[in-house]
Amino acid sequence: MKTRKYLTTFGIVAALAVAHVFAWRGAEISPGALADGWHGMARFLGEAVPPDLDWATVVQPGLEACLVTLAMGLLGTTLSVPIALALAVLGTRGRNPVVFQLARGIMSLLRATPEIVFGLIFVTAVGLGPFAGVLALLTHNIGVMGKLWSEAMDEVDPGPADALRVSGANGAQVVANAVLPAVVPALVGLLLYRLDVNVRSSLTLGVVGAGGIGFLIYQSIQLFQFKQMATYILMVLVVVIVVDLFSAAVRRRLAR
Amino acid sequence: MDTALSVKGLRKSFGDRTVLNGVDFRVDSGELVVLLGANGSGKSTALRCVVGLTKPDAGEVKIAGKTSAAMVFQQIHLVRRRSVIDNVCAGGLAGLPLSRSLAPVLFPKELKERAMSCLERVGLADRARDKASKLSGGQQQRVAVARALCQGAKVLLADEPVSALDPAAAKQVMDLLAELAHEDGLAVAAVLHQPDLARRHADRVLGLLHGEIRLARPAGELSESDIDALYAPDLVVEA
Ligand SMILES: Nc1ncnc2c1ncn2[C@@H]1O[C@H](COP(=O)(O)OP(=O)(O)OP(=O)(O)O)[C@@H](O)[C@H]1O
Ligand SMILES: [Mg+2]
Repeated sequence: MKTRKYLTTFGIVAALAVAHVFAWRGAEISPGALADGWHGMARFLGEAVPPDLDWATVVQPGLEACLVTLAMGLLGTTLSVPIALALAVLGTRGRNPVVFQLARGIMSLLRATPEIVFGLIFVTAVGLGPFAGVLALLTHNIGVMGKLWSEAMDEVDPGPADALRVSGANGAQVVANAVLPAVVPALVGLLLYRLDVNVRSSLTLGVVGAGGIGFLIYQSIQLFQFKQMATYILMVLVVVIVVDLFSAAVRRRLAR
Repeated sequence: MDTALSVKGLRKSFGDRTVLNGVDFRVDSGELVVLLGANGSGKSTALRCVVGLTKPDAGEVKIAGKTSAAMVFQQIHLVRRRSVIDNVCAGGLAGLPLSRSLAPVLFPKELKERAMSCLERVGLADRARDKASKLSGGQQQRVAVARALCQGAKVLLADEPVSALDPAAAKQVMDLLAELAHEDGLAVAAVLHQPDLARRHADRVLGLLHGEIRLARPAGELSESDIDALYAPDLVVEA
């Protein structure tokens, strides 16, 4: 019995080692290239300081772009709520298996497709700009948030609902007074977590033409404007940290 | 005394596993009956059948009074984020229109007053405004009892109400259940796992074995061999 266990462990380790060899080749890992490119990167970073703080050409457009990024993240989250909620409810356990599988299937599909792919699709549909970004975020977010919400709903303790049902409360009264008080804080917490993630994702969407501060960073790299890039990255840092602190603070309050 | 709860020929199977095989018992107004039985003997299933949380395959349940039986649970099942008084109110929602029952702010004044008097009955009126989760386990169980009282039932069932409580809190809850029977005239049936508590607090003890009530004794006459027979590992059933 023990030998078999050792053999299995050995087999797994060997398989992992082989996988790494192939991966190393497949990814064209080349420490030499990194060493050679190091000087370039160092120069690049050297050129980035001090950051360009010119108000009219850099800081003001940067701040405006930050607002666009925040707006994209916000709308990409909130506009996905109705459909995510519907799919989440349909995807809870104990439902008709066809409905359950269909709802979970749709959510998996949306979740498995990255925002950036949706971004490319929507840019061709509605043109460059933040609107395409919002559509991309909300489509992907329906899948992710819907699944998280479904699972949160599945985890709700049925006990309080049972207790009210015993007392003769009807379905709506049970949902309003036992299910929702337990589940709403969890759903709001997950919503805020997704807001946090979506603000960060909207940065990457800038690269495929969805605008916002992500696009300015991309543009400044393309134009070798490293001092501008440095300013924008600092702004992103502030935005990301602020959103993160905000959502963490609210979630902590909700958890109590 | 008049019979407040009578159960006849209760049967329930899950798949091919027969859990209740014709359970008969009654509980009179003004008495505290304790139901004993080994793990898996079907005590919870029997109580859930009485209150309608589980649908029995056969049998008859008769309950005195206008409402169904009320029930408290081992896991207490309060809404932790809501205040104590709101939790108690939630026991009395039956029959209220949705416009008065969808959120605590809408609850009618009469309901709040009734809930308050139920809280007084369990000795926790001073904690009414606290969040339920702030109370100790024993206090929470008494709030759950108050919620059950708010339903206005004549029959109160309790499934292992003290299994999660320390001895002092357990005694307090059992004293409360006994008072509700003896002073307020409720018919109280409680599942317990501690024969000693049954001896001390119950009027009558029932024992569930092999899906039937195999033991019925005044609590004072409960003997060690009665207990041993109920909890003896049974190879025929386990096999
Ligand atoms: N919903 C259900 N589906 C399938 N089997 C169930 C269900 N509820 C209970 N059972 C089974 O019925 C039997 C009796 O369970 P029950 O909970 O009534 O026992 P109990 O006497 O309350 O036990 P305990 O002392 O552990 O609380 C157990 O074998 C249990 O597995
Ligand atoms: Mg049980």
